[in-house]
Amino acid sequence: MIHIYAIAEGLDGLPEVEGIQGAPPERFRCNGFDLVVSEQGAEVEPTEQAVLAHARVVEALLPLAEALLPARFGVAYEDEAALEEAVQERAAKLSESLARVRGHVELGVRIIGEERPESEPPATGRAYLEARAAETRLGSELHESLAAHADAATRAQPPDGRVVLASAYLVDPNTIPSFLGAVEKLKEQHPRLTFAVTGPWPPYSFAGVDAQ
Amino acid sequence: MNESHPRPLEEQITLLELVDRVLNKGVVLTGDITLSVADVDLVYVGLRVLLASAGTLDRMALESGNGSAP
Repeated sequence: MIHIYAIAEGLDGLPEVEGIQGAPPERFRCNGFDLVVSEQGAEVEPTEQAVLAHARVVEALLPLAEALLPARFGVAYEDEAALEEAVQERAAKLSESLARVRGHVELGVRIIGEERPESEPPATGRAYLEARAAETRLGSELHESLAAHADAATRAQPPDGRVVLASAYLVDPNTIPSFLGAVEKLKEQHPRLTFAVTGPWPPYSFAGVDAQ
Repeated sequence: MNESHPRPLEEQITLLELVDRVLNKGVVLTGDITLSVADVDLVYVGLRVLLASAGTLDRMALESGNGSAP
């Protein structure tokens, strides 16, 4: 089986990292794209090791490519012909996606609300619903103010538990300081919320051919 | 994973975000994903990237309690 790590444009060599189960990442040129793949004896199980190996290869490819679309784990092809056919069918959309992520990285944001003591549940169902609605509004406001500092933004729906916002932003690496500045400002405005910013990531959340 | 050394929260969040990206984001060429939802949940359980403070743990615990996870 062929495991695919990423689809790249303008790939300047391969990284010196091991792929899944120690298999070396290889370059497979197809339809003008550089695919980075490895040959696996069998279907790859989603173990911690395999997931981290996939992530390591994608991460190492980021500085080597002009544009990079990380592939989702768990997509495998029988042989090169099957892979070629899949790429050909999607070539136009892949080009669009590559153009979108070119020169960009992704930042992840998680904003977590206050812990509610279990001894103090909302007095009524209505109070609970109102509290949830307020949280949803707050999440949208926070998302919009951060999206203003990014070239694209995406948000996981719907937030659950105490997660007020789980989102990702596509940014030019040069603008990371100003994005982080915007996060700091929001932190000051919302001292009761916990903010976590992760990245810069390869643009996983903006790689999908259907992503906006 | 060494359970006697729990990962600090920051590392847990990063790991959760990483796994979420690798398994749930990224380009899919054909629309055929060989992983089932159960497989994906298993990775989360295996990694223990269950971010208690983010509510994920509650949800996962709930799902396990309902017998949908081994």
